[in-house]
Amino acid sequence: MIDDKRIEELKGKIEKSKEIFGQAFERFKPEETRLIWSGGKDSTLTLWISRQYCQEKGIDLPKAFTIDEGDAFEEIDDFLHRYSKEWHVSLDWGRNDDVLKAAGNKLNAEVKVSDLSERNQAEIKRIGFELERFPFEAESYVGNHLMKTVVFNKYIEDNDVKAVFQGLRWDEQPARKNDPYVEEVAAAYLVLAHTRYRPILHFTERDIWDTTLHFDIPYCPLYRQGYRSLGAKTTSLKMSDQPAWEQDLENTVERAGRRQDKEKTMDRLRKLGYM
Amino acid sequence: MKNTVLLTIDALRRDSFGCYGNERTLTPFMDSLQEQSLGFGRAYSTGPYTQASFPGILTSTYYLEYGKQKNLPTEKTLISEVLKKNKFHTAGFHSNPYLSAYFGYNRGWDVFYDSMEDDVTDLYPFIRGDAIVQKVEDWLSGYMSKNTGTPFFLWVHFMDVHEPYIPEEEYLKTVDESVTLSKEEMFVMFKDVLLKRDTSNPDTLGLLKKLYDAKVLEVDEYVRRLFGILEDVLNETTVIFGSDHGDEFGEHGGLSHDGKMYSELVRVPLFIYERGRAEGEVYEPPISNIDISPTIAHLFEIREVDGFKGSSLLPIDEYQARSCFGEATNKRGHKEKEEDRPIYYCLKNERKIILDEGTGTWELYHLKDDPGEKKNLIDEDEHADILKDELQTWIKNR
Repeated sequence: MIDDKRIEELKGKIEKSKEIFGQAFERFKPEETRLIWSGGKDSTLTLWISRQYCQEKGIDLPKAFTIDEGDAFEEIDDFLHRYSKEWHVSLDWGRNDDVLKAAGNKLNAEVKVSDLSERNQAEIKRIGFELERFPFEAESYVGNHLMKTVVFNKYIEDNDVKAVFQGLRWDEQPARKNDPYVEEVAAAYLVLAHTRYRPILHFTERDIWDTTLHFDIPYCPLYRQGYRSLGAKTTSLKMSDQPAWEQDLENTVERAGRRQDKEKTMDRLRKLGYM
Repeated sequence: MKNTVLLTIDALRRDSFGCYGNERTLTPFMDSLQEQSLGFGRAYSTGPYTQASFPGILTSTYYLEYGKQKNLPTEKTLISEVLKKNKFHTAGFHSNPYLSAYFGYNRGWDVFYDSMEDDVTDLYPFIRGDAIVQKVEDWLSGYMSKNTGTPFFLWVHFMDVHEPYIPEEEYLKTVDESVTLSKEEMFVMFKDVLLKRDTSNPDTLGLLKKLYDAKVLEVDEYVRRLFGILEDVLNETTVIFGSDHGDEFGEHGGLSHDGKMYSELVRVPLFIYERGRAEGEVYEPPISNIDISPTIAHLFEIREVDGFKGSSLLPIDEYQARSCFGEATNKRGHKEKEEDRPIYYCLKNERKIILDEGTGTWELYHLKDDPGEKKNLIDEDEHADILKDELQTWIKNR
């Protein structure tokens, strides 16, 4: 249980997040924005705060967008379906069907680059890979790009989205430490200009769980089983059998269960002569 | 309590140092630090390449404990995890892919830069020392401006001496003006000679060694710059300096750093710099890189760390000399393969014994009489059985 002082502290953090939503809605109409909702704890809290804010201000709730990487936990899908209904959130699903088809919907299947659409081929070149084939894995470097970034960019373009809300946090991993609340993403080849708002940057992992449990915010049951961070199904690992919030959050790495950038690391090793 | 900096340089041979007798002046800056350092005359790595040696440095454990795993086993505790748990600030900056987040080395750091997101080229397949120093400078100025008073632990690792050996002209000129290879030609030597472990031509080996020496000169400059960045905190900081392993230039029929346990690979530089305190003292008995993390824990006044196999080198009067051990796989060429078998060494006083499990061969060298480790005395040395016992007991119980 948390004490009153802690509850006040969390309320303060929620208010700070609402300020960021306020800044966004001064510039953009709700229909020009999207909330990126993965079904994980961070984006669910972001959505919960945005609902509060929109109800208080009497404005429309922005649409939500989720990306199906082709390797999702059923529990996450169920969670998204259930709470988009209960909370009356209009939820769009994005998917890179072209890559999935080329992989025959099978994980680790070899995808021939020449089987892909021109756009997907151009995207692989854009991130510096001269490949003929690659294994279909959502959280590998190429896979992550095609299954998430490309889907995101295309969705922004097709729906004329001007701003997005992301549930990122400073303490999620050291690389995030200097992320700003508001970031202008400049237009580039295959990327449309847009603005990114990160309303819950200041929440720590501990804050997330204290807030979620105290305010009875729903969460995906996988966290109770011991998952700390949810990504693709086959690359997310359970850290322990304890519920996430009972683990030693302060002294262990949240994302240790996730695979990152395998190919980039392997490419470096190759260049050093190690492969 | 002071800050602690651990500075490690990949593949840096001990005999590159002027202070250890090298007459080519490749390490003028690092030599100049010796007067205020506690030096170690005989420091040994726990393995001859990064994957085998860094568990020793950062987790005070041996490579193959818990079996051979692709990632750093979760049973091992990084010194960063120990310090973070004790509320100290921890920051690490390096560009060695084997020490990246992907392999599990990102545990316990408040700030961790492994460079894997950045772009590199074939000629320089790692983020170089000058850029690493810049990252440290950015971090330190941010840290100082917050002025929390919490001591920090900073780990910096330079990759610049690691192959491909492609030095900048100014450094190569200093080493040998007559060498006029273009960078492309140096890269060809990397591909055709070094990667193929072709030691057939002694002239080529000599040339490769000169390129390596020029890289040592270059990294010495980055160390100088790093100390420049740290100048304002140096009075409050202990710097531990070391290397993960050396590099071979044909001494035992190979190149680079394969799975062998000879001195050119496992004997490493190590010193502890404390401005105004140490007086150029040198501790001569053998010590191991396994002792580095316990020394860091000691500097932060943390007494015992579960699972650490070494002991603190400070205070040096209380350090108890003992045998040094190491383990790796007997790989040839850079890739570890399924069929590679473990290779071990035990070093006791003046003797080193090596067991290659793949071939079942034992070797014993008397390091004082035969520093080049050419004459295997396993069948003649009266201590051979005792040393065999000691190594086998260690393998069983480590």
